[in-house]
Formats: sequence, structure tokens, C-alpha cells
Amino acid sequence: MIAAILRAQFLSMRRTFGKGIVLAVLGGVFWYGLWTFAALGVFSYIESASAAKLPGVLSLVFLGVFLYWQVMPVVSATMGASLDMRKLLAYPIPVSRLFVIELLLRLVSGLEMVLVLIAAEAGLIVNPAAHGVTGAVAPLAVFVAFNLLLASGVRSLLERLLTQRKIRELIVLMTAALWVLPRFFLMTGMKSKVTGPALEAVMAAGLPWAAAAHAALGQFPLVSWCSLAAWTVAAAWFGRMQFQRSLRYDASAALATPRESTSRASFADRCYRLPSRFLPDPLGAIVDKELRTLARAPTFRNLFFMGFTFGLLVWLPMVIGKSAHPEAFMSSHFLTVVSLYALTLLGQVTYWNCFAFDRSAAAFWYIAPQPFAKVLVAKNIASQVPVYLEMAILTAISVALRLVPGWGAAAEAFAVVFTASVYMLAMGNVTSVEYPRGLNPERVSQGGSSGRFQVLVLIFYPLALLPVALAFLARYAFASETAFHLAIAVAIVVGAIVYKLTLDSAVAAASNRRELLLKALAAGQGPVVT
Amino acid sequence: MSPAILVRDLEKRYGDKSAVDGLDLEVPGGSFFGFLGPNGAGKSTTIRILTGLIPFDRGTVEVLGLKLPGEDLAIKRRIGLVPDESLLFDRLTGAEYLEFVGRMYELERAVAIERARGLLDLFELPAGRKMIAEYSKGMRKRVAMAASLIHHPELFLMDEPFEGVDAVGARLMKDILQHQVARGATVFLTSHVLEVVERLCDRVAIINEGKIAVCGTMEELRAGGESLEDAFVRVVGGAHALLETHQGLEWL
Repeated sequence: MIAAILRAQFLSMRRTFGKGIVLAVLGGVFWYGLWTFAALGVFSYIESASAAKLPGVLSLVFLGVFLYWQVMPVVSATMGASLDMRKLLAYPIPVSRLFVIELLLRLVSGLEMVLVLIAAEAGLIVNPAAHGVTGAVAPLAVFVAFNLLLASGVRSLLERLLTQRKIRELIVLMTAALWVLPRFFLMTGMKSKVTGPALEAVMAAGLPWAAAAHAALGQFPLVSWCSLAAWTVAAAWFGRMQFQRSLRYDASAALATPRESTSRASFADRCYRLPSRFLPDPLGAIVDKELRTLARAPTFRNLFFMGFTFGLLVWLPMVIGKSAHPEAFMSSHFLTVVSLYALTLLGQVTYWNCFAFDRSAAAFWYIAPQPFAKVLVAKNIASQVPVYLEMAILTAISVALRLVPGWGAAAEAFAVVFTASVYMLAMGNVTSVEYPRGLNPERVSQGGSSGRFQVLVLIFYPLALLPVALAFLARYAFASETAFHLAIAVAIVVGAIVYKLTLDSAVAAASNRRELLLKALAAGQGPVVT
Repeated sequence: MSPAILVRDLEKRYGDKSAVDGLDLEVPGGSFFGFLGPNGAGKSTTIRILTGLIPFDRGTVEVLGLKLPGEDLAIKRRIGLVPDESLLFDRLTGAEYLEFVGRMYELERAVAIERARGLLDLFELPAGRKMIAEYSKGMRKRVAMAASLIHHPELFLMDEPFEGVDAVGARLMKDILQHQVARGATVFLTSHVLEVVERLCDRVAIINEGKIAVCGTMEELRAGGESLEDAFVRVVGGAHALLETHQGLEWL
């Protein structure tokens, strides 16, 4: 039964990956190669650690493993693999077997940590200060089991919470902030006030990673083993209970549209209609439709909020931190940089893959009595509305924090973003028809495109930003504002020509590849959601 | 009356397999035309070609006197489509979707809003904030049907329009379609529910393995006192479906 489910998943993945399998394999080799290096680092550190340091070092390594295994499901709650209960519940499969598959998925999603633990075990064996510990395999195995069981429970709990829109978006934003906060503390000089007490708290004996470390070193065997066993039993109970609750959970009820007050609904309606009032149909109709679709897609909302929250957290320390310099480029162009960051962030669900949320309904664009070029142009216009809204918010924050030298700097930021947008939209129109991929708008965080396309984006971003970079170079080289403005003007004119050429190319490709495009957007998944 | 659809020697290939293979079809204007066939016979492919959704490899296609390819946009303006797969934008409400479709067919915004309201009411669809993503299958078909009507087309292309629709909804849809034919429009529909086709259609074509196996009036098809179902099974070779002829399925 388990084999049948895994085979169905393999067949689904094989059809989804198609020609991208080579890149996927290369990506895997690169990723696990990095972790192999990390594991070697752990090995050499533990191998040479003194007897006094070993418990602390080992506890820290185990804490890292624990955090990775537990936090990764939070980060990738809608990205990583999980069983799609709706597809499997119709079959007479015992819950215990489904739970085993879920645990296997948790193991697979944390294989990097198995590498690290093997390296830690090897380090202990060769370290003379550990007195040739060879009995560490058992505590490590129990520690792995504890992590898998707990991760399964955490994931099941999160998946239920994440079906509720507001909670989902909040969790994702908090998770995103967690990745940025250490850097924020580091650059703003708050590190020393935060890290000391936090480190002491997490190293307290009795916690699972510390218990596993002591058990692995043969220290306080009774206490450490009892503690580890108790944690594992609790994790097993938690994991199994949460898994069963998820089985019985009615996600469709949580997805139902909440009751909305009439005044709020009509205000939102006026906002959606506003840009389309200035445009003739069909452009107006499509922009109207796109804005409603984007605003109701948690995937988009998450990125939009990240644009000015996460964005500020990333860039603000460079301007107000202890290492900030008032003459530095970042200090004088804060708004420009943060706005470009927002433009690139929103790109993955708007212009790079503009049919993503249409999915199978993208066929509508082929049966509608309107030229495909107008559809792309309207989608491009719609993609820019949130960018400039985001910029308005960022400008307000920057002005409030006195991070903008003057209104001229704000105008410059808008001009730079507009120029970069022209090139990004030009490239995005081509990628949208050449590398389309349907996205579930309910999934807060997910890969926006195929592996091959992800590689191409690494080339496209610098290319699209090159004209803007040249304008700044002109200002620097000639020490002249006129040179900068002239370069921007030329970049816009060239960008308009490039946009027209790529639009024609995208329209031709959309016509020639229509069946492939629609197939790619409507692609389904197997019993395991990835 | 001139033909609403005229297809000659149509071929559509997927790799080395022909989904439609030398198909000839003439649908008189103002008729209620049933397009029948077993699963995989080429019905949906034919409809997708007629709507310009997919290209074809050989043959000629004329819709409402206009040629495909070449006059695609002019054809699209004059047809209403209910496809087999959903073309609905899930993140819109029913009212928003209908207004959007109306505007895509170049109706004035106010007219599109007015017609959308009327159609929502007629099809008993929710007028509130409920998104199409939350609609049942039958409700989605109703929205698709309403969207096909909003621009008052001359030709309706409908792929399984009654699938998943309850009896009341199906009755409403049938009444509307009959009304459209009475005003001079043409309805071209596929359905696996032969009783419905038998009751509604005045002409029928049966497609099998990409070719038209039989085409004529309902009376011609039922010559000899056969029901449409009997005629269908005879034409597509359904006798092979008899259980006794299959080896290794005795357990069933």
C-alpha cells in the first residue's frame, strides 16, 4: 500500500518535472554537496573538541538539527512535501500507515540533518576526549525519531492553522522576520543584549538536544535517557494526535469567504475599480479582474506585505546601523533600493509568470475576442499597481524616518523603478509564455516557476537592472545630474523598443505554444503535495 | 439558412494519434444540434478547434461564414461557449466574473453590470462575496452558462453543459437554450445524456474515432423504431462492451 502511494507520487513527479529533471538533479547535488561540507565541518569540530567543551558543542549541534527539522516545516509549510489527505481518504488505508508515510516524508525533507548527525557520531568515535564513545548510535536514533514525530505534529498543526487565511499570513510573515532578525540585531548593535541570555536558556539540561548530547557522551545516563525517552513519547503522542486531527479536518469550511461588512466590501470594490476607470476596455476589464485576483490570493498578499516589512528589516540596518555611513550609496538611495527590492519580490507572482493564478482558466484568454497582446499589456499594467502602492508606503515610511534626502530623491526612485520595470516586464512577457506554471493562490509560499526558469531569472534580474546601473555609473563618471537623467531617458526609450519587440515575440509564442502553455498551467499533482 | 458551422476534412493530430481524422460536418443555422460520441472520440477537440482554442493540422473550418484561422476574433465575438473544463477565474465572485466577461465582449460597463445582475438572478447564483472557488460543480456550470449568454451570441458551443447540474438548473438551462434557438441562434452541444439530446435536438451527429459515423435529423437516426441510445450503441460498436466477451474478468 505504501509502495503504491509512493509509486503514484513518483509517476506524478516524473510527468511534472519532464525535461527539468536534469536541473532538479543538479540542484539536489549542489544542495547536498553544501550540507556534506557542513557535516565535514561538524565532524572536524567535534573530533578536536576538548572533554570540557564536548557536551556544549554537541548540544549546540543537536539544537541546530532540532531547529532545522522543526523550523523547516514552518518555513516550507506550503512548499515541502506532505500527504494530500483529500486524495487518499477515499481508500481503505489504515491511519497508522498514512502516519508512517508522513514520518518518511519528514525524514526525507531533513536528510541533510541525518548527514550532520552521522558526522557528529563519527567525530565522537575518533575524538580521544570522548573515550571512544561507540554507544552514541542509540541516543542519536532516538533523537532522530523524536524530531520526526515532533516535526510531523508541528506540520499537521500548522497545516490546519494555515488554512485560516489571517493566521497563515501572520505565521509566514513572522517566519520570514525570524530569518532577518538576527541580521537586524547584528547590524544595529543589539546582538550582545539578546544572544547571551537566549543561549543560556536553550542550553538548559533536560531539554531534548541537551539530553541527547549527554546520553551520547554517556553522561548522567539515567537522567539523560529518561529525559530523552519522555520527550520522544510526548512527541509521538503529539505527532499522532495532530495527524489524526488533520485527517478529520474540513479544510473547505476554513476556506469559505468570511462574512464582510457591506461598507468594507463596497470600499474594496471602489479601490479595485479605480485604476480601470482610466483605461478603456478590455484593458480596464482585465486590470480590474487582475487586481481582484491578486488581492484575494494569500500568496500575493504575503509578498506584498513582505515588500515593505521584510524589505525594511533587510535594508534599514544598512542605513541606521552602527556601520552605516551617511555618504554611502545606500544612505542616499535607500528608497530606490528598497523599491527595487519590492519590484523584484512581487515579480515572481506577477510579471515573471503572469498566468500563474489563472491556471486552467488561462484558456479563457484564447477564446476571448481580444488580441493576446492586450491581455499581456493589461496584466503588465495590473502588476505595476501594487508596485507603486508599495512604493507609496515605503516613501511615507522613509520620509517619516528621514531617510529620503528630499522629494527629488523620491522622484528619482520612482523613475528608476519605472525604468527597471519596463525591462522586467519585457522579459516577463516572454517567460510567462515560455515557462508557465500554475500556482495555487491559497498557498502562501511556493516556488513560482520551474527549475530552469529559476536559473534564467538569475540572468534576467541583472540584465533588467543594467540600464539603471549604467545611469548611476554615468552620474558617478561625469559627476553630473544631467548625465544621469539623460541615461535614464535613453534607457526608457530603448526599454520601450525592447518591450514592443518582446511583446510581439511573446504573442507569437503564446499562439504557437498554446497547448503546451495551457497544459503546463493545468498540471496536477500526485498523492503527495510538493 | 446558411450553415452555422461548416467543417471539411478536418484533422488534428497529437503525435502519431489523430484525435480528429478527416471530419466533415455541417450544422444548419438555427438548429439545435447534438454532437455525440464515446469518450475520447474527438468531441471536445472539435469544439476546441471551433472556438480557436487549439489549431488544427488539415482541413477547412468556417464558423458563421467566417474562416478559421484568420477571422478568429470576429468569430469569438459571435459565439458563446460552455467548455468541458472550467474557464472560470476562481478568485472572482459570480457577479464580478459575469461583468468581466461582458466587458471582454465589448459591452459598455454599465450594460455588463446590469446584465450580470439579471443573469445572476435568473440562474439563482449568489450575489454576495462568495468566490467562484467556493462554488459547487453545478454552480460553476451555471456561471459558465450565464457567461455564454451575456453578449447575446448567435452560436452556442456547449460541451456537456448539464453535467453536475441539478434537475431544476438543467430544466432552466434547457428552456433558455430552446428560447435561443427560437430567436434564430444555433446551439451545438455535446452530452452523454442521450435522453436530453433526444428531447432537445433536431439534428444529431455521432463521432467515433475522430470521424463522423452518422449525421442526420433525429427521425433519420431513429428509423426503424430504435431509441437514440440503441442507435448510438449500434453506431459506435458498443456490443463489445458486453461483459461476457472479456477474458479474465469472471470475478466481476
